[in-house]
Amino acid sequence: MFGIPDPAIWVGYLLALGFTLACLVYGLLNWNNGVEGEEDGG
Amino acid sequence: MAVDTGLFVVITLVYLVIVIGLGYLGYRRTKGDDDYMVAGRKIHPVVLALSYGATFISTSAIIGFGGVAAQLGMGMIWLTVLNIGLGIFIAFVVFGKRTRKIGSKLRAVTFPDLMGKCYGSPFMQYAAGLVIVLGMPLYTAAILIGGAQFITSTLQIPYNTSLIAFAAIVALYVVLGGLIAVMYTDALQGAIMFVGMTILLVLTYIQLGGVIEAHNALAAMSDLVPQALAAGGMTGWASMPALGSSIWLTMVTTLVLGVGIGVLAQPQLVVRFMTVRDSRALNRAVLVGGPFILMMTGVAFTVGALTNVYFYRTKGMIALAAATEGNVDTIIPNFINASMPDLFVVIFMLALLAAAMSTLSSLFHVMGTSLGFDVMRRAGSKGAMMRPIQVATVAMIVVSVILAFVMPGSIIARATAMFMGLCASAFLPAYAHAMYSSKPSLLAAKLSLVAGAVTWFLWTAFVHVKESAALGLSNLIFGVPAILPAPWQDVDPLVIALPLSLVVLLAGLALDRHRAPLEESAGAA
Repeated sequence: MFGIPDPAIWVGYLLALGFTLACLVYGLLNWNNGVEGEEDGG
Repeated sequence: MAVDTGLFVVITLVYLVIVIGLGYLGYRRTKGDDDYMVAGRKIHPVVLALSYGATFISTSAIIGFGGVAAQLGMGMIWLTVLNIGLGIFIAFVVFGKRTRKIGSKLRAVTFPDLMGKCYGSPFMQYAAGLVIVLGMPLYTAAILIGGAQFITSTLQIPYNTSLIAFAAIVALYVVLGGLIAVMYTDALQGAIMFVGMTILLVLTYIQLGGVIEAHNALAAMSDLVPQALAAGGMTGWASMPALGSSIWLTMVTTLVLGVGIGVLAQPQLVVRFMTVRDSRALNRAVLVGGPFILMMTGVAFTVGALTNVYFYRTKGMIALAAATEGNVDTIIPNFINASMPDLFVVIFMLALLAAAMSTLSSLFHVMGTSLGFDVMRRAGSKGAMMRPIQVATVAMIVVSVILAFVMPGSIIARATAMFMGLCASAFLPAYAHAMYSSKPSLLAAKLSLVAGAVTWFLWTAFVHVKESAALGLSNLIFGVPAILPAPWQDVDPLVIALPLSLVVLLAGLALDRHRAPLEESAGAA
């Protein structure tokens, strides 16, 4: 994939990109959550 | 490194003026102890994310680990996976929110203070502070050495002058402006690093004919792996080393796991979670932090491996052969210097200077607060904290500079991995327990901290041959560089010490739970 023959390498790249995407999605979905006083204990 | 020195000097001076200006702003906004220690607990989420990332990523992560990727290949991308997955997502979402909330509730101002207050134990604060005061100067000295070497090679300033000037400039704004100054300057430095690494990635792929073309070329070079590396298990620069080989063990246990897990319990990073007003700021910081780390280590490791293609095409040799005196730390700078436009060389060098300064400033601050607040204040004095902490910060900076003069120049990446391993082994189980238990067990935490730190030290001094041979203790006592044979001597101390620290924590918990009913029945009788 992408010119990289070893799955152990391109899976690493996919995971790195996947985690980055997860950070973006998490940040956007929770953009307004967690204001002091509205937090649920955790 | 041959660049347009005049241009670099001008840009660097402008950069330094802005840094000092931000430091002055931090100084003006520091009105009390909370400002100095935890930036008043009202830092903006973008500043938090950039400061966290810039502190996380030092010059050694870019130059040192990028050079390792040039030597060992793209398998280093697994460290990026952990850097983002654990170092950002888990760190902010799982640990960060609890740390902020508990830290704010207990009014904790440092990582050892947080541990001490969570467990209601001066011992925990003192012990955690002591680990930082004793262990962090080695890491700080390594960052100082890297920065001074870089300034010397770039501006042709004598090494000793570079080292002292570098430490003095950073010390100025850390001592006077505290954590607000540190985080403001970190944010600027993080932004410069992001721009520099983005341009580096794009120009490298353009230089090598595109993404697929570059990767294909790298994969086709597997028969050029040097004999010594092939014997150690290396199979190519676009493939993982052979499973279980010595290179695989070093890559996976020391570089990927050691640094990847170690970041979760870094005092200079944990304290940043306590600098924001609420969890919303942490949620927003995650959005910035993930892409930032991808563009730091992901780019460094990818470009590092791809330098082999560039050097093979232009010089007919692999990157390791093109390194100055075989030093892998020179591969990335040599590549930049040989392949990039002059203006970018200057931008990239500024990014490296920013990376070194941002990490250094945070380490100075944590060492100063640990000595001045957690260790010395525990011994007696009460009242205003800022002045003694400033004095302690200066003292720790002096110790680090002295260490930097006596330590070998080739220790940068290793000292980084060592400190991260020590922190994770000593602190991580007790820290996680404190964050997620309503009634944390002091006995379990004490046993875990001591077991983790002692095991890490013993494995480092007597088994992990790369350190034990250099330290010489094993040779002195047992007459051999390492007391266990391969593959054990290639296994990083963290891989042994962290699980043991966790097992001891669980055993301590079981012991505590067993003891409680006995004490209750004794009390009733």
